[in-house]
Amino acid sequence: MERTLTNFIHALRSSDVRVSTAETLDAFNAVELVGYEDRGALKRSLALVLPKTADEKETFDLCFDQFFKFTDIRGDRDGSDAEDAANEYSEDAADGQDGEGGAGGDNPPTGSATDAKGKRKSKAKSKGKKAETTAAEDADAEEEDLGPGKMSEPSSELARLLMNDSKVELSIATAQAGEAVGVRDIQVFTQKGLYTRRIMEQMGLADLNREISDLRGSRRIPQRRLGQNLRQRREWLREQVRDYVERQFLLHADADGRRLREELLRKVKLSNVEQRNFRLIQDVVFKMAKRLAALHSRRKKVFKRGQLNLPRTLRHNMSYDGAIFDLHWKSVKIDRPKVFAICDVSGSVANYARFMLMFLYSLEEVMPKVRSFAFSSDLAEVTELFERNKIEDAIAKTLRDYAGGSTDYGQAFVDFKKHCLDDVDNRTTIIILGDARNNYGDPRTDILKEMYDRCKRLIWLNPEPRNSWYVGDAEMRKYTAYSHQVEECNSLMHLERIVGNLLKTVQ
Amino acid sequence: MADAAPDLQKITESVENLKTELEAHRYICSDQIATAVYLAYHLRKPILIEGPPGVGKTELAKTTADMFALPLIRLQCYEGLDEAKAIYEWKYGKQLLYTQVLKETLDEVLQGAKGFAESVSRLHEFGDIFFSEEFLEPRPLMKALQAEAGCILLIDEVDKSDHEFESLLLEMLSDYQLSIPEIGTLKAVNEPPLVFLTSNNTREISDALKRRCLHLYIPFPDLELEQRIIHARVPEIPPELRRQLVKFIHELRGLDLKKVPAISETIDWARTLLLLHTETLEPQLVRDTLNVILKFQEDIENVNSELTTLTSQALK
Repeated sequence: MERTLTNFIHALRSSDVRVSTAETLDAFNAVELVGYEDRGALKRSLALVLPKTADEKETFDLCFDQFFKFTDIRGDRDGSDAEDAANEYSEDAADGQDGEGGAGGDNPPTGSATDAKGKRKSKAKSKGKKAETTAAEDADAEEEDLGPGKMSEPSSELARLLMNDSKVELSIATAQAGEAVGVRDIQVFTQKGLYTRRIMEQMGLADLNREISDLRGSRRIPQRRLGQNLRQRREWLREQVRDYVERQFLLHADADGRRLREELLRKVKLSNVEQRNFRLIQDVVFKMAKRLAALHSRRKKVFKRGQLNLPRTLRHNMSYDGAIFDLHWKSVKIDRPKVFAICDVSGSVANYARFMLMFLYSLEEVMPKVRSFAFSSDLAEVTELFERNKIEDAIAKTLRDYAGGSTDYGQAFVDFKKHCLDDVDNRTTIIILGDARNNYGDPRTDILKEMYDRCKRLIWLNPEPRNSWYVGDAEMRKYTAYSHQVEECNSLMHLERIVGNLLKTVQ
Repeated sequence: MADAAPDLQKITESVENLKTELEAHRYICSDQIATAVYLAYHLRKPILIEGPPGVGKTELAKTTADMFALPLIRLQCYEGLDEAKAIYEWKYGKQLLYTQVLKETLDEVLQGAKGFAESVSRLHEFGDIFFSEEFLEPRPLMKALQAEAGCILLIDEVDKSDHEFESLLLEMLSDYQLSIPEIGTLKAVNEPPLVFLTSNNTREISDALKRRCLHLYIPFPDLELEQRIIHARVPEIPPELRRQLVKFIHELRGLDLKKVPAISETIDWARTLLLLHTETLEPQLVRDTLNVILKFQEDIENVNSELTTLTSQALK
């Protein structure tokens, strides 16, 4: 069972639930206490120990359901009879517990499962012969009709397993074979077929095939009958193994693949991101934002050494009979950065604006005071949109309402001055995102200078590569003079770096 | 209920027993919550409870204390809480007083001491006494460790405290011990306390703290569970009205409100309606009592406009 649990934790980790070694130990203790018998109890207990945020709990739920899928290898053939469904249910439940083993453990079946198996065997023997052979006739109509009757004993190990009707043993065998061929290393979905075949081979497919062809070539009827039967069961097994591989893929490789894609997306130029990747990129943005937030969530204090906090000192020294030796200094809590984001949302830059706004607003926890402005020719404040709507909706609305129209930086600055230049103070950081392509209009650097003088920091982010900044109608040269910092910013990685620095320096 | 010593062995034997026992103490809970208490008791791990305000986080600790018939020691967290208020403080006054006394009897103490070295070593004995447990004023965390028969320690709203305080808790939570530089390490006397931490999620709790705790998230209950809670807390209310009011509250939770009503508000409302001898929900009545469940004028105005539809939906 230990293997099962560690495998499960591995799967959790690959879907971004952080599980430490200490928590793994806790999980073992918890499982020792509640046992594997009750699936609900197991889930509830592990849910207390492993995931530690609401998000992680959701992921955990999904992962648990997928991993501890108790119908690992279902005998659809023999269990199809409706009248047996009811009494079968209890046995399936018992089987289920062992099914976990199927998910990756090389453990012996527990006592209860052996019981259930015993029962099943006897039952399968009584009804199985009739039901299965008739089913066989239905399926392989073109095969010769051998009729019901005695079958000879299978010889190879896999064949015996198949004929035993023991789902539990089969699932364990599958899992063992899976471990042996390293199914957990599966990386891309095209490998599914490969791994299915490898597992089958590991389980002894070659022997089985030989046996089947021998049997079918045989002249004796019971042997031919067995051959037919085995052939069907082989197909069924193949399906089960494929399912198993599929599940392993979802558990292990899908997460790895996603990580790979995320890694790529961080570096890709934001204007090239395709629509279908937006969701994924959003996830990446949120994740990055969360990391930054965690990093900077501590509000720092600066102690002004040399300025005595008299009331505090006196209060603390009362207990020393008024003798002042425990000194307390005045301290100032450092303000969160106040950010004004001015975004060019005209066609060429819209995508960058989308992701920057997303980033800034995902950082609400550490940057509560973001005001945002959008312009292509006229500038308007969109802060309220973001307060009222979800980030994605707000961005969509912003782009709908303000994009389009030719870019006019001069006009945008005039508008900004009219609306809220007075709100800019020496704690404000202004971030301007735009390509500075002004269509040969008046750049109005005088207003930019005013902003530059008033604010703490003015950062200009340009999505174009540096070498095209001064080409054509770009006014970057003029604007650079009035910015504290100009950066090329066209991928999530750039964004992360810039916002990270912002949080670091301003705090 | 709690006056006879509870049969701990039986209560903690299984999750079901715990659940029924909690219910006997009028705390209706889901399996998840009962499992949390069960694991916390057996693994001796603190529980960190998160969830929206008013879903019974603090109540769970109180009820558990009631159920186990153990004293509840509560530490309310706030910004600026430090070790002097949470763990211990020296009784400075007493120390000063004793120093004075010592000063007066100094001659007797030093009588017969040969040379400076011996005098100093005699004085040293006193120095140690001044920093002994006699002069220690225990605060909640230390009290919890010293409780003879064990206790329930409730660290309420841990998210309101500073980061520094969180780190201070780590030693207590993982090893049930506290280090006091002058004395040494204090360990739990007999039973380590059962610790409940609650958080309203105003900020993320650090990973280090989370790692040491079981993490229980209590969401708003579903219709059926909330009805049972109301039944346990306000048994006098007629079943039909109970169904209606719980339904109404659930409708409200679906709306975009500044603060959605929690269970505690549902209970208050149920009591209010009972007091007014209500038999069925009516728009006018709801309008008049809305301030019991909604705590922001903005929310009240928002809901007022849709009151009729909401009420008729709840009546269905």
